[in-house]
Amino acid sequence: MPQHDIIVIGGGFAGMRAALAAKEAGADVALVSKVHPLRSHSSGAHSGINAALSPEDSWQAHAEDTVYAGDYLGNQDAVQVLCQEGIGDVIKLEHMGVIFSRNGQGKIDLMPFAGSIRPRTCYVGDSAGHIILQVLYEQMLKLEVPVYDEWFVTSLIVEDGVCRGAIAQELSSGRLLSLDAKAVVLATGGLGRMYEPSTSAYTSTADGQALAYRAGIPLVDMEMVQYHPTTLMGKGVVVTEAARGEGAYLVNKDGDRFMESYAPETLEMAARDVCSRAIETEVAQGRGVNGGVLLDFRHLDTDRLEDRLPETTYVVNKLSGIDIKKEPVPVRPAMHRPIGGVQVDVQGATPLPGLYAAGECACVGVHGANRLGGNSLLECVVFGRRAGEAAAAYAGSIPLRKASESMMLDQERLAQDLTARNSGGDTIGSLRRELAATMHQKVGVSRDGAGLREAADKVGDLMERYGRVGIPSVGGPYNPSLSTLLELGYMLDVAQAIVASAQVREESRGAHHRTDFPQRDDDNWLKHTVASRTPDGPALAYRPVVITHRQPQRRTY
Amino acid sequence: MTYAFYPGCVSKGGCPELYPAAVKVAERLNIQLAEMKDVGCSGAGVLSQEVSDPINARTLAKVEQMGMTMMTICSTCQGVFTQANHRLKSDPDYRERINRENLAQEGLRYEGTVEIKHFLWILDEEFGLDKLKELVVRPLSGLKVAPFYGCYLRRPPELMVPKGFERRKSVLEMTIEALGGEVANIKGKGKCCGFPILASSEENSLAMCSDHTMEAKEKGADCMVTPCPLCHLELDGLQSSAEKHMNEEIDMPILHLPQLVGLALGFTPKEMNMHRHMVSTEEVVKKLEGVRA
Amino acid sequence: MEVTFKVHRYDPATNGKGQLQSYMLGIDEDASILDALMRIREDQDTTLAFRGSCRTGFCGDCTMRIGGKNRIACSTTVGKSVKDGEVTVEPIRIINVLKDMVFDAEAMVYQKYRAVEPWIEPSTPLPQEEHLVSNEVIQDLRKVMSCTMCWLCDEGCTTMVVDRKFVGPAALTKAYRVVADPRDSKTEERLHSLSEEKGMWDCCHCYEATEHCPKGIDPTERIFALRNQAIKVGAGSTKVRNHYRSFGASVKAHGWLDEARLAIDTEGLTNIRGQLKQLPLALKALRRGKLPKPYFLHKKRPGAANIKRIFKLWEKK
Repeated sequence: MPQHDIIVIGGGFAGMRAALAAKEAGADVALVSKVHPLRSHSSGAHSGINAALSPEDSWQAHAEDTVYAGDYLGNQDAVQVLCQEGIGDVIKLEHMGVIFSRNGQGKIDLMPFAGSIRPRTCYVGDSAGHIILQVLYEQMLKLEVPVYDEWFVTSLIVEDGVCRGAIAQELSSGRLLSLDAKAVVLATGGLGRMYEPSTSAYTSTADGQALAYRAGIPLVDMEMVQYHPTTLMGKGVVVTEAARGEGAYLVNKDGDRFMESYAPETLEMAARDVCSRAIETEVAQGRGVNGGVLLDFRHLDTDRLEDRLPETTYVVNKLSGIDIKKEPVPVRPAMHRPIGGVQVDVQGATPLPGLYAAGECACVGVHGANRLGGNSLLECVVFGRRAGEAAAAYAGSIPLRKASESMMLDQERLAQDLTARNSGGDTIGSLRRELAATMHQKVGVSRDGAGLREAADKVGDLMERYGRVGIPSVGGPYNPSLSTLLELGYMLDVAQAIVASAQVREESRGAHHRTDFPQRDDDNWLKHTVASRTPDGPALAYRPVVITHRQPQRRTY
Repeated sequence: MTYAFYPGCVSKGGCPELYPAAVKVAERLNIQLAEMKDVGCSGAGVLSQEVSDPINARTLAKVEQMGMTMMTICSTCQGVFTQANHRLKSDPDYRERINRENLAQEGLRYEGTVEIKHFLWILDEEFGLDKLKELVVRPLSGLKVAPFYGCYLRRPPELMVPKGFERRKSVLEMTIEALGGEVANIKGKGKCCGFPILASSEENSLAMCSDHTMEAKEKGADCMVTPCPLCHLELDGLQSSAEKHMNEEIDMPILHLPQLVGLALGFTPKEMNMHRHMVSTEEVVKKLEGVRA
Repeated sequence: MEVTFKVHRYDPATNGKGQLQSYMLGIDEDASILDALMRIREDQDTTLAFRGSCRTGFCGDCTMRIGGKNRIACSTTVGKSVKDGEVTVEPIRIINVLKDMVFDAEAMVYQKYRAVEPWIEPSTPLPQEEHLVSNEVIQDLRKVMSCTMCWLCDEGCTTMVVDRKFVGPAALTKAYRVVADPRDSKTEERLHSLSEEKGMWDCCHCYEATEHCPKGIDPTERIFALRNQAIKVGAGSTKVRNHYRSFGASVKAHGWLDEARLAIDTEGLTNIRGQLKQLPLALKALRRGKLPKPYFLHKKRPGAANIKRIFKLWEKK
């Protein structure tokens, strides 16, 4: 049974950054991931990573933009950490070997991004995610951090009110094994597979959120689900925001740049939630093209396109056959990233001793109600590092206590029980598709009370039917039966929390738009929703927003 | 048609049976060859581009002066020259620099207008395989021939088999058939023979030689034909070493393309230097002598 | 459309060979093969093992043989793959299959990646801010780093077929990434270690890797670039260095290659054993008139002086 000071679950940006930080702090850390780290979905981040590197910029201005974009739901202490420490963290990435694009003086070039007043997005062509992921993995090899890849975590080990590790299925053998640790860092990423359409990988199934939730840890601001306004129709792949940064136009069926009616000052550079709602409105009012709109690049300089957007050109061509220089690209909003997640403080610590979380699966509160483009990669790196450092400090202060066998035996028995079920006509796929359609239609870009109630009922119904679905076998080499079934269970649990959080927030703020409560209501709702698991479903409570410098103002574009 | 003929190094060095065979066959087909004597080795992928590009630019400049298409009889020369030509054609600054630094002293200049074609391509694209068929006096009936292109004749595909020239992917088979022979199609026909790694990894090189020749043998081929003398050196010259290394009996005769064409056109095996191979071609000759000329 | 997917199934426990199992699926022709496999797993057979994650072509996980051709499954549509209502899906060749379409990536992909030590070692002390690097260098590196370790280049590699221990074009492309990065301070060491057995000199530069790379990275040219640099720092086995030196020397002296000299020089003039080993072959070649006259007996091409001039200019640089 593997034993380490720290186990990091998840091999993307936040996970690897945490592991590197813990290793550098002297801890015996290992990374566990259900796919090889190089295959993590962080690879799909096209945009870039924000840092106030320019002499005309400042971390304060960056913080200002972040809080504003977040519609004032952001915890300003966390935002300060993000923007202030982010500068050093991005330079550290460059020192590690990230190949940021450069300006004429050889310094890191900065690109303007939607919602940022000044250019501060450091980019790598249009494949920042892929490159940074590789460089972090290179560092993992350099520091010789052991990786248990293709291990699927089935539960956390919690004993005596402390997290003691995790139980996972080693996919190469099919055995269930317990990983003993003094501390665990969750960095499992997103949950897009519970939405359709979404930009997520097959692996984004709310694992970390569900594991924490089931261990009694609350999930914060789950109603905040960010849609990406421009995803390739039918494929769900992001057509990067940088495209609009380079000057691409959003046009409707009549060829009009419709953003003029929704965001006259910023047009296509308005924040994602504004753009997503605009596009959905155009479609709903009959001015869409096949359920979406068009992103037009044809007026842009071809040399610049090749220099700035080569991956976009390649992917759009590869997946749809369209040459962006010759034809406009059909796009529509798709669910992109969750903004809420596992409750953590600015050190990355959850309320459960020994359990930390960082990155997309966590909610430290920097994004508020809407994520500023370029901040999500930054969050992973800054708070991944902090979680790793905090976990290392904690682990250094306590002895290792081996977990008892009981949890392990329970897991094994539960797993075997699954093979005895009679599915009653449902398959994992059919349940997941029903969930995904419901979430998109009722808990998507725009919500209302009636729709959310229907969603809540539907999720409850799906959970019941899920309880009857079985699998033919559990073990054996590379048998994905158990993990595929459990992933659906993770998504259902977390979906329930999302719906409940959306039901309770009776206002519109950032990514959470309620047609029955279309105004922002600071008097009643300047607070975080906190969903905790109970046998009767999610119980909702609230936490105050940390406000230090910026008092809420109206958000206009 | 007259071509600026670039014979390469091996056709007069390690495979001296090739050069005279090629010249005789071209003459019989009325393909005029203006041989280039004052030219350098192509570099064969061994010399760095930094030195081989100027040397090859010099050759191309001279061809350009002659106002002809350049003809090669070696897949490796063809590949190396096509790549060099591509770089020189597509980057005028690069071409200018080479002109200035390396060619100007001799009064030479390359403007980037030369076309280079292997004899195999010329047979199909400019001479015509139908026309060739008509000139066959000793059809290779009953001779099963395995084609082996030599990888430099096929890759990189954008340069060697560009749009509109897809026939190049199967032109060797078509030529065999035009000459009356039967094709023993082998999977390895477009693969590397192993010659480039002889110095660094002899075992792997010999394993590759064995793979291709044994595949031909398994497919019932009487011989292999190749338009590349470097492949010939490997498949013929090193066949006995491969046999020893892999502990097997191969005994697969390897013919140069012009030899195969020449035999079909009625030249005697002696005229085509069939006696100068390392692996005896006796069986092939016997089979052909059974065919009425 | 209704499609029958014939999918490779293999379970090491059964000890047998792999077999094709048929699954019928009603699916859009625009859907990808990976989508189809996911549907089969989620709806029909949860034991079906295959790798695939991002769905959109940048994670490199879902390389498979579809209809007999090596492809990235998520970027290959059902419509383009179906033939007579059927699509065959198998694992790639050369690597051991562990189950169904899952192959031993550790032994072939990741081990080789690690072996080239693909992280930069900048010199210390590190600058306060970022290193200054030209955007031109960055763009070249970005092209190289757009590699997703999809393994299509290694799968098509000629040397890999006869020698699975060859480090391969994928790993060598990763090696190029650090050798070409101006921030790395270990260039010479790297070139020496990459020149060891099973390293860059085992590449027969047949351009298969370049042909198979879906991202246009041109691994073969990258390997050439590594080799040019390696020669310059004197890396490579004695035979390899002799070979390159001799080739250049004869072209410089005579304008064209002296193959006999090449054969002798490569073994090394003082390497009696090596010379004796190739003597039988040399004698056989001599009898057939295939042995060129070496060294001073080798005829100079007319205009060889000009070739020499070009060499000298290059050596000066």
